[in-house]
Amino acid sequence: MLKATIDTDTFRETIDVIAAMVTECRLTISEQGIRTRAVDTANVAMISLELDQEAFSSFLATAGELGIDITKMKNIVGMMGRGDVLSLDLPDDGHKMEMVFSGYKYSLTLLDVNTIRKEPSMPSIELPAKIKISGAALNDAIKAASVVSDKIALGVDPAANFFYMEAEGDSDHIRLELGKDELIDLVPAEARSLFSLDYLKDMGRVMGRADEVEVQIGIDHPVKFRFGIADDNGRVEFLLAPRIEAD
Amino acid sequence: MKRLCPECKGRGMCGLPRCPITSRFYESVRVKQSDAYMGASPSVFIGTKGYPRMQAGPLLVDDPDTPPLWVREGYSIEDIVGIRARTIRGAGETATHLDRIQEIALSATPLDVEVAFTRPVSFNLTFDGTLAPVGLHGDMKKVDVLENARTPRPVERAVADTDLKATDAVRTLYREGVDVYHITQLLTSGLLGVRRRTVPTRWGITAVDDILGAALKETAGRLPPLEEFRVFSATIYGNQITCILAPGAWHYEMIEIWEGGSLWGGDGDTVVVDGERRKKQGYSPIAGAYYSARLAVLDYLNAIGRSARAIIIRKVSSAYWAPLGTWVIREAARAAMQTDPQVCPTLHEAAAAASICLGSSEWEVSSNLMREIQSQKTLFDF
Repeated sequence: MLKATIDTDTFRETIDVIAAMVTECRLTISEQGIRTRAVDTANVAMISLELDQEAFSSFLATAGELGIDITKMKNIVGMMGRGDVLSLDLPDDGHKMEMVFSGYKYSLTLLDVNTIRKEPSMPSIELPAKIKISGAALNDAIKAASVVSDKIALGVDPAANFFYMEAEGDSDHIRLELGKDELIDLVPAEARSLFSLDYLKDMGRVMGRADEVEVQIGIDHPVKFRFGIADDNGRVEFLLAPRIEAD
Repeated sequence: MKRLCPECKGRGMCGLPRCPITSRFYESVRVKQSDAYMGASPSVFIGTKGYPRMQAGPLLVDDPDTPPLWVREGYSIEDIVGIRARTIRGAGETATHLDRIQEIALSATPLDVEVAFTRPVSFNLTFDGTLAPVGLHGDMKKVDVLENARTPRPVERAVADTDLKATDAVRTLYREGVDVYHITQLLTSGLLGVRRRTVPTRWGITAVDDILGAALKETAGRLPPLEEFRVFSATIYGNQITCILAPGAWHYEMIEIWEGGSLWGGDGDTVVVDGERRKKQGYSPIAGAYYSARLAVLDYLNAIGRSARAIIIRKVSSAYWAPLGTWVIREAARAAMQTDPQVCPTLHEAAAAASICLGSSEWEVSSNLMREIQSQKTLFDF
């Protein structure tokens, strides 16, 4: 059972974040709020999202799992006005969620959760280097790199105490170094991993709206991005597997 | 090639087994040039020049103008150039003849027409990367369609529905079994969509391939991934299409290799690469062939109910001495996907199998997707 009202902007932000990664997902609801965790088809990227009940203007729920067609949801969200209020209503054992906004009454058929991939477990990895950076700066760097290449290296030089991003194309090269003063925070440790910009571009677009993104990296290890949504009443974690090139 | 031709005059300096410029004359000898035509018209043609005031008209020839038939009947390139060399492209102001153009486009079979030209048709065989060649050209004075169009039921429905958007109409028609060649005819002659307009044939061909590809890509994206690697290969008219399917989310890459001495190949091999993930940005440098091959692969994936990453390698040898149009690639790719695939457990073996089909492994160097599959780790590797 779910009975909630939420600001449309917050809801749109949440759906956009999930849509950056998957086309459908299992949404777990509990008395505390909603959360989801999903990996893309290729098992390369993972999203983990939590939205506390404080992000809603009213929230009443019993534990359950919903199958959401994110592509369809994104189209619905596109019709919502700014600063409007959306109310969600799902009865006990219901298969249709009622969504009411700006006079529209939308009845959305949910997907059978058994047809959607199970929630993956979070791989336990140690990522020693931590950087805090503004989302806009991070997104800009990703966009800059995608001009010259299809992959980007993220790393930290502990000796010189800076965070760097580097992309190498067939003929061009781009490098950005950010010292501690230009970042919000830096925990230095030896780190360098290579990532596919295909995935990062989608992630960068949604991270660009966050004031602060925590980036965790290691040596040839996945990268973890953490940032808040819905005025910090929600948290998102992106995990992306690296590319390892044997030269 | 262009630079050599004036100097060579068909002596074979370009290295092609047969000069495409002179071969048109062999065919032209048999054509009686008259200022009237009475007979079948299988399809319509709308030119690109002068858009939006293009020249349009029926193609006039006693051939159904359906490439799959040419392949099935085992026509050689010479046969096809021969048919196309005696094909007359009637030309006239689009608006003047629109109703008759649409009548011909609607019909699933050729219609009998009577055309009067302002002067005897002139010979002007034009080759083009996207379109099938056409030999004769005549400015039309008058066109009469002597029969009624034989319109398949789904086509009738889509054409009658003026609230159905062109993209939806194209997708519905394809799902209902109307082939891409007929859909292209309908789209170009302005019979589909809400705000209908005529579209140059060259653009219409790729538009249909792209509209269908975009829709199939979305459905394929939701399917479970393929479990193993599969390698397909087939050759039509010197165009060898080899396809590697790898487990994973939809990702497409096409590598086009023009061998030295082939049509646009120059002295050494010329390689063009392009690819996409979920979205395609801009027009492919490989042009229409990219979209035609993509459609064939997506058809296959939807048929087996799996998503996959696909690498398509098109290798063009000197046997392809006249460009016949993108349908060659579409039919070659379809033929490849219909063969029994070689199933390989690893990417390495799949790549080796593809290299054996192609006779060399030079494509591997150009493939970005290959590099990505090799280097991209998954989260479960940690």
